[in-house]
Amino acid sequence: MATKPKIKQLLDESACSHNKTKKVACNAPKPGATTGGCAFEGAQIALFPYADAAHLVHGPMTCLGTSWETRTTGTSWQGRDLTQAGFTTDVSLNDVVFSGEEKLAKAIAYIIQHYSPEALFVYATCVTALIGDDIDLICKRAAEKYDVPMIPVHAPGFVGSKNLGSRLGGEAVLAHLIGTKEPEETTPFDINLIGEYNVTGDMWQYTPLLEELGIRVLSTLSGDGRVAQIRTAHRAKLNVIVCAKSLISLTRKMEERYGIPSISLSFYGKRDTSKGILAIAEALDDTALVDRARKLVAREEDKLEEKLAPYRAFFKGKKAVLNTGGNKTWSIAAALQDLGIEVVATAVKKATEDDREKARQTLGEKGVLMMNPGAEQARLIDETGADLLLAGGRSLYTAIKKGIAFADVNQEKKKSYGGYDGLLNLAEDLKNAMQNPVFRNVARRAPWQK
Amino acid sequence: MAKVIHKNSKPLQVNPFKLSQPMGATLAFLGIDKCMPLMHGGQGCTSFTKVFFTRHFCEPIAIQTTAVTDAIAVLDGGDYSIVESVKNITNKVTPSLIGLHTTGLPETKGDDIAGVARQIEFPMVHVNTPDYEGGLESGWAKTCKAMIEQLVEPTEIVDDNKLVLLPHVSLQPIEVEKIKEFIESFGLNVFAVPDLSTSLDGHLGNKQAALSSGGISVDELRTLGDAGLVLTVGDSMQSCASSMQEKNTEMRHYHFAHLHGLEATDALVKVLLTETGFFGPPLTVSRWRRRLQDAMLDSHFSLGQTRFLVAAEPDQLSGLCQTLHDSGGRVTVAISTVDSTQLENLQAEQVMVGDLEDAELMADEYDVIIGNCHCEALAHRLGKGLVLRGFPNWEQVGNALKNDVLYEGGCYLLFEAANTAFAARNEVRHV
Repeated sequence: MATKPKIKQLLDESACSHNKTKKVACNAPKPGATTGGCAFEGAQIALFPYADAAHLVHGPMTCLGTSWETRTTGTSWQGRDLTQAGFTTDVSLNDVVFSGEEKLAKAIAYIIQHYSPEALFVYATCVTALIGDDIDLICKRAAEKYDVPMIPVHAPGFVGSKNLGSRLGGEAVLAHLIGTKEPEETTPFDINLIGEYNVTGDMWQYTPLLEELGIRVLSTLSGDGRVAQIRTAHRAKLNVIVCAKSLISLTRKMEERYGIPSISLSFYGKRDTSKGILAIAEALDDTALVDRARKLVAREEDKLEEKLAPYRAFFKGKKAVLNTGGNKTWSIAAALQDLGIEVVATAVKKATEDDREKARQTLGEKGVLMMNPGAEQARLIDETGADLLLAGGRSLYTAIKKGIAFADVNQEKKKSYGGYDGLLNLAEDLKNAMQNPVFRNVARRAPWQK
Repeated sequence: MAKVIHKNSKPLQVNPFKLSQPMGATLAFLGIDKCMPLMHGGQGCTSFTKVFFTRHFCEPIAIQTTAVTDAIAVLDGGDYSIVESVKNITNKVTPSLIGLHTTGLPETKGDDIAGVARQIEFPMVHVNTPDYEGGLESGWAKTCKAMIEQLVEPTEIVDDNKLVLLPHVSLQPIEVEKIKEFIESFGLNVFAVPDLSTSLDGHLGNKQAALSSGGISVDELRTLGDAGLVLTVGDSMQSCASSMQEKNTEMRHYHFAHLHGLEATDALVKVLLTETGFFGPPLTVSRWRRRLQDAMLDSHFSLGQTRFLVAAEPDQLSGLCQTLHDSGGRVTVAISTVDSTQLENLQAEQVMVGDLEDAELMADEYDVIIGNCHCEALAHRLGKGLVLRGFPNWEQVGNALKNDVLYEGGCYLLFEAANTAFAARNEVRHV
């Protein structure tokens, strides 16, 4: 049980700013009034992009049956893409009564024999954690027997939220992989990308630019990731946390253990992408590099501006209301501003203290931070004359009633909005939404309506 | 008859298309008007299920969770989390019914949900659906049975014009509607339990509903006991009929393994003619029968040279295989999610309970795949044609309106399968 992380400590993360003001870090979910995924899902999000590893879910059918192949996570791995494969022990009543350990050991053997992964992540789930299957021991034995790294992931759903699960996933990587292998070579500009999962290939929007500057991505957690690389992560000069709060405990521990400093940034929108690239260069503390970065950023911004010009003309004077949560409350707002759209309001109900602060900075004094967006957004659309509502599906009705364009920000993304080029994708999608007559057309009154 | 493997010998599922019992239960409760399905377990089961069906139907899905945590799991027998949930739900909305269904977590610790439900003064149906047993079909069927047992009032009155339709889980909303209308065209009043045809059929409401926005009403459910007829579609639903008959011993039961294709639809028409005393079917029924006959002939050339892999829930599997078989399509491999009485009677050359890894290993034996969207990567890797059917289909819109059943739906299915097979052959030729 020694490898199990202390959940209390993870929830009390000292690097989280809200813990200076608030006693309880992450509240227990309220029965009958809870949305959002569980810890297992969080761990899965954080670790599944390791495409050279297999991911075995030790649990009943709901856990994996609903969740595999749900994200369009890109990988450049040449072998069989195990990110988009599903492995589960699908435990039965018999396993619940007599233990699922034997089945798990056999399942591991099957995967090693048929898929030869570089490593195997084994996920505990509510049922198998409750019946007390010792996945630590089974993983240890299997690792010795097959000489393949086996990583037990202790993030059964009932321990908490998605966010906590991502932390637990990070803890598993720290306990079992980081520091277990030396890199073939090191450079002064080696970085780790932490919390970037490369959904829709977001990461590939900016990694070529980093490479051009001579910055090497030594490893990632875990976008387009390789287990062999994350094992060498302790030799990086810098940890870059991308748009995610959940792995802050991991980077703090890496700082304590290996002396690796970390910075947190986002690659959404023009300004954030430029700021991000410069911040990495500055943190690596090399004047020539910073100089190169400045030139590159200027070049890329010019290139982008040229391509954006027709969109800017179209978006001139357009206003948007944004209703989402987490870091999207400000990162999407910033991206919209880069397109020349005025963001008149953003929802901060489902945002951390940090995110609220950033949202305030992004929107300025005039912008409205909605604490109760469901009730406020319709009124704000009227008052501000907004042209576009960006929100989750349930707000579609508001947009139709107000006769304005709607874009679903929570929909599974099919293409990347990250980096400089992603902004063009976003611009194109929003332009299409605003030009689409569908919102007016479906609002037509039926001939029999008075 | 086909060689049938009822149990997979592997210690795991690789690329599974099997789905869990609680998910079937959730879906069944969504066929009741203004219902709030309440899944008893960790919050993730509910969140995953919600996203899963939201993406399939492109509709908001009403569902809540008892959000059991590790601390509560140890201390609570379900009383606290269920009672709190009901309180918190009814603080915000007023459902006509709360549909309490379990997952593996509370079943492992042995929560007595029937006992808890008895303490709660709110209309509830409770059902045990651990995800370490059964699958999507059994979760749906158990829930349907629980609704009948716990809500339908016993009676001795018999209304011979009233028919209760019990459809299996894989029938999409439009298919339930088509079956209802088909039977209604013989002059009967039809009530489907559950009824997705008016809840998840993809209609624009007046506002975002916090509860299920359609389906059979709880009042209608309570008074189903006087129905003269009960009709089950799919073997998974068969035992629900006996629960109906316990409410009224005079009720007559007709069972159909499926309602796909010419023969099954003929059998339904025969029953309806006998029961109603009609001399012949309504005009549109006979018209659609002729169209299906023509569709079978039009598609037979392409189908006759095509080998199919069909991967589906057993009740849907039997209908799909039969439809293809009747027009000369060879189902060389049929893979079912779970074991079922259907498997022995499938029109297929090999039948097995399995996963999509099994499908991949038999790649040489088929040209076209029929299955859910997890088959897409498979079809792509192997260069096979693909007809998307079953849960989930996240790759396409319009799932709720896909109709494969009766004379009419048979036409659409055959054309789609034949056209896909034709395109797949062209593809291979051009490579």
